[in-house]
Amino acid sequence: MVEAEAMGLIALGAGLAVGLTGLGAGIGEQSIGAAAIGAMAEDPKFFGKGLLMTVIPESIVIFGLVVALILLFVF
Amino acid sequence: MCGLFKTPAYAYITARVRARKRKLIPKETYPKLLNMQLPEIIRFIEESEYKKDVDELSAKFKSIDLLEHALSRSLGASYRKLMDISRGEVNYLITEYMRRWDVWNIKTVLRGKYYGASEEEILNCVVSAGELHYPELELMVKKESIGDVIASLEHTPYYPVLTNYEGGMLNKIEDELDSLSYTRLLDAVGGSPGEKFFLKFIKTEIDIKNLKMLFRLKKAGVEREHVQNILITGGLELKESDLTRLSGLSFPELVHSLDGYSYWRSISDVVSDKMTTLMDVDTKLDAHLMNYASQISHYYPLSILPVLDYVLSKKIEVDNLRVIARGKELKLADEIIRSHLVM
Repeated sequence: MVEAEAMGLIALGAGLAVGLTGLGAGIGEQSIGAAAIGAMAEDPKFFGKGLLMTVIPESIVIFGLVVALILLFVF
Repeated sequence: MCGLFKTPAYAYITARVRARKRKLIPKETYPKLLNMQLPEIIRFIEESEYKKDVDELSAKFKSIDLLEHALSRSLGASYRKLMDISRGEVNYLITEYMRRWDVWNIKTVLRGKYYGASEEEILNCVVSAGELHYPELELMVKKESIGDVIASLEHTPYYPVLTNYEGGMLNKIEDELDSLSYTRLLDAVGGSPGEKFFLKFIKTEIDIKNLKMLFRLKKAGVEREHVQNILITGGLELKESDLTRLSGLSFPELVHSLDGYSYWRSISDVVSDKMTTLMDVDTKLDAHLMNYASQISHYYPLSILPVLDYVLSKKIEVDNLRVIARGKELKLADEIIRSHLVM
């Protein structure tokens, strides 16, 4: 029973790790994406840089995913 | 939380205006333009960001007139684009700031009608950059009399002021229209950190407009009562009491009483009580305003301030190109043209 509760909490933690980092990345990306689209609208040469800048906040989701995987498979 | 949803709108428009500002002619290019002859200047402008406007107007105008109209058209199109690509709060602020062009156009049409100018002549002088679009301005110009023009503006915020027109000279309602555009703008600005600087800028702009008028009117020896009616209240440093005091002074007294204001640093080297031309003062005051807008545009990158910086820089670029082209046409010395450039 105790083990099942612990597993549940680990799963909840893993979910939060991915979910909250996804939310944070989304909040960060909304402005970066809008600015990138604005810059590209004026000069299409900004496409590469704009895309790169937009996906930078995605790295935080990867950290979240790593934490989730550690929670699920190491503990 | 509300700011979270406003941020992308500001991020989009500020990225666009910063990219647009990069395309403006850098100030290092103006000395090169001064070394060119008029045909070369026209060719330079034809090959720049103004190409589309020059091409579209080339069948209708030639030489310097083509240049003038292309510059005005580009200015109007740039400002309209800003209104079209923005939304929400930033769009509201830009629209309110651009009302000055509505006022400009209404004044142009009324003056044109007053002096009996042709429809084409009036339309050549309007800049469709405000809330009134070109087709609406065309309809206005087609009206027979000043009364009809005023009646056609019934749905606009300018109508209550325009109904005060009782015939004769237009200067009274023109001054009231100017005041109205600034009053509306001051009321429209909110309390966010970026908007606080925007408000400060507008108040500085009012001060500079008042200073320019004070210099002109006092140089012409106009009496206090008339001066006071023309000045706009709501400035940053020139409060109502300052305006009352300054408008009662003679020109030499006015010059000597300005050293207590921050604007004095910008104009002190060109102002004296024996000065003959006021062009240098206007240029210095415009440069002060441009530098101030440029300086504050970096304070809050996701606000109206970078947009304001672009709006002002674009206007100054158009004015500078016009000064160079007209100066070259009139064969003025390079030094004189240079002194009238806002840099």
